[in-house]
Amino acid sequence: MINILSRAILMSTPLLLGATAEVFAEKAGIMIIAIEGLFLLGAWGGFVGVYLTNSYATGFLLAAALGAIAAMVYGYITIYLKQHQIVTGTALNILIAGLVAFFHRVIFGIPLLPLTIEPLKAIPIPLLHKIPVLGKVLFNQNPLTYIAFLIAPLGFFILFRTSLGLIIRSTGENPEAVDVAGLKVERIRFTVTIVAGVFGAIAGSFYSVVYLGMFTNTIIGGRGWIAFAICFLGNWNPLGAMVGALVFGIAEAVAIYMQSSGQIQLPNELFIALPYILTIILTLTRKNFNVPSKLGIPYLKGN
Amino acid sequence: MKHNAKDLILSTLLSVFAGLFVSGLLLLFLNKNPLIAYGKLFSFLFRDGYTFAEIFVKATPLIFTALAFAFTFKASLFNIGAQGQFYMGAVTVLAVSQLFGDRVSSLIALPIIFLSSFIAGGLWGAMVGYFKARFKANDFLVSMMSVYIALAFMNYLLRTVLIESKREYPQSDPIAEKLFMPVLVNGTRLHIGFILAVIIAILCWFLLYKTTIGYRVRVVGQNPVAARFAGISAGRVSILAFFISGGLAGLAGFTEVNGVQHMLVQGFNPSIGAEGIGIAILANANPIGIIFGSLLFGALKVGGSILGQTSGIPSSIIELMEGFVMIFVILSYYFRRKIELRRNIHSLMNRKSL
Repeated sequence: MINILSRAILMSTPLLLGATAEVFAEKAGIMIIAIEGLFLLGAWGGFVGVYLTNSYATGFLLAAALGAIAAMVYGYITIYLKQHQIVTGTALNILIAGLVAFFHRVIFGIPLLPLTIEPLKAIPIPLLHKIPVLGKVLFNQNPLTYIAFLIAPLGFFILFRTSLGLIIRSTGENPEAVDVAGLKVERIRFTVTIVAGVFGAIAGSFYSVVYLGMFTNTIIGGRGWIAFAICFLGNWNPLGAMVGALVFGIAEAVAIYMQSSGQIQLPNELFIALPYILTIILTLTRKNFNVPSKLGIPYLKGN
Repeated sequence: MKHNAKDLILSTLLSVFAGLFVSGLLLLFLNKNPLIAYGKLFSFLFRDGYTFAEIFVKATPLIFTALAFAFTFKASLFNIGAQGQFYMGAVTVLAVSQLFGDRVSSLIALPIIFLSSFIAGGLWGAMVGYFKARFKANDFLVSMMSVYIALAFMNYLLRTVLIESKREYPQSDPIAEKLFMPVLVNGTRLHIGFILAVIIAILCWFLLYKTTIGYRVRVVGQNPVAARFAGISAGRVSILAFFISGGLAGLAGFTEVNGVQHMLVQGFNPSIGAEGIGIAILANANPIGIIFGSLLFGALKVGGSILGQTSGIPSSIIELMEGFVMIFVILSYYFRRKIELRRNIHSLMNRKSL
């Protein structure tokens, strides 16, 4: 039981980071459809950084840098050139998949054995990890998990309790007002998109650097879309995203447990499909969304 | 209007070249000469009839998945789940084909199998449309999720009830030879499915632009407020558009199983959904343009994979070329709009000075 809970927290880490990034961008009016690609790019960048330099910091930095570049391309086309976000994001997802596979080959050739790295280990927090049950579940995790669970409340605070957050939210709700106040709508959206790109890519690096210690082209397999969905289901609120990410983390942990324990005879494929079924069911049952009113709509001056 | 059509064709061709140019530059990282690589790619396509015919074989399912995206796109709906609808179509035609075996004349069996793929894909797609209409669910999100569910479902069936009689690999037995789609050119894999795809593309064009159904779909897409005043139910259009869209993607399952593979393997053709979206964008969602876009992507796939087998260039070059072409096509949308605006302003000014 403790193991399942601990694993649930672990598996919710990238979803939480990715969903929080998505919340910020969408609050400013930009849907990051390229999030699946950002996850993949981050997973690859993190792996390459750690493999080549043996330093986790380089891995995360490389992931972040690649995420920022991809977000700049996405932001430039959708925000400044005002092209369709879903169309651009889909194109970028295909391009990133190609680029990652191509440069993996350029750097590593065709290795005889799968390349591996040492996954990032859990760091128990002094004293706190000794608390029975809770200590093992909450305070014996890897650094990325701690960061994710700190960033979500911090994100909530920034978004809903600071003037910066007010500006970001207004950019998605009422860009004309932001413009009249003398701020540049497009610049705000572009900046938020880049920050979201950085965190989206770091979220993706979880799968290679923390969880598996290796990279494959199919490592993400739709997890980026789940983070995208959690942003919706969490009602565009980082704390809502935290609840959503935990629900999916638990689902994933239970699925892994069921598969490995073999106690209940249910088809494996059901567990693989479970997060996606869950997303659809939750989308149907959730009412009263606070959709940012200018979500996905480019800002045209004097319109 | 004529100017704009010319711009469209010219700018699309330019973006295709720009996309191929940039992908070519990346080959320098592998110490390969891009010009030689592209020269080879091009000559491979024409090296024999079999390879040339492969372009059309590869283009066939892409026409269907691209049409699937385009059809909902015209109603401002987003079906990015063509991959899953294709899987539903594929697994259904396989099951129906196995059921028929060689007991039924192919003249009766093939049309029924054809219909079954359309209905299977269509129902899986209509589910998205229904959720959108009834629960205001996000169609983009639900259609994306439905891909992974369909994949798991197909893989499950291939591991259990549809598994081959040797029970060794998670794949099906081949279907009866009677149920293979007729081959068009002997000595190649080119089958009648390509003709079918072209006919369906033309039918889609007709349906979208010459019938009331198509009119309703487009009005809901372009002006939902006007549609509501005209008494068009957006919900009904959503379900119908998603049914047709899903059905089109399901047909790709028919042509791939009965036309090419003659069996079903777990998780096969994993990228035709995304490529279909790319082609639809390339063709500006025009059904006739989609035929040409699919042939281009088909050629890239055939040439790219031979290049991968013979020249030490990874086959991911295919995705690179596709991705860069798509990005440049999107950029061309921006520049075309700018040119169009400038031209309109010019003609206004000229009129004023007269």
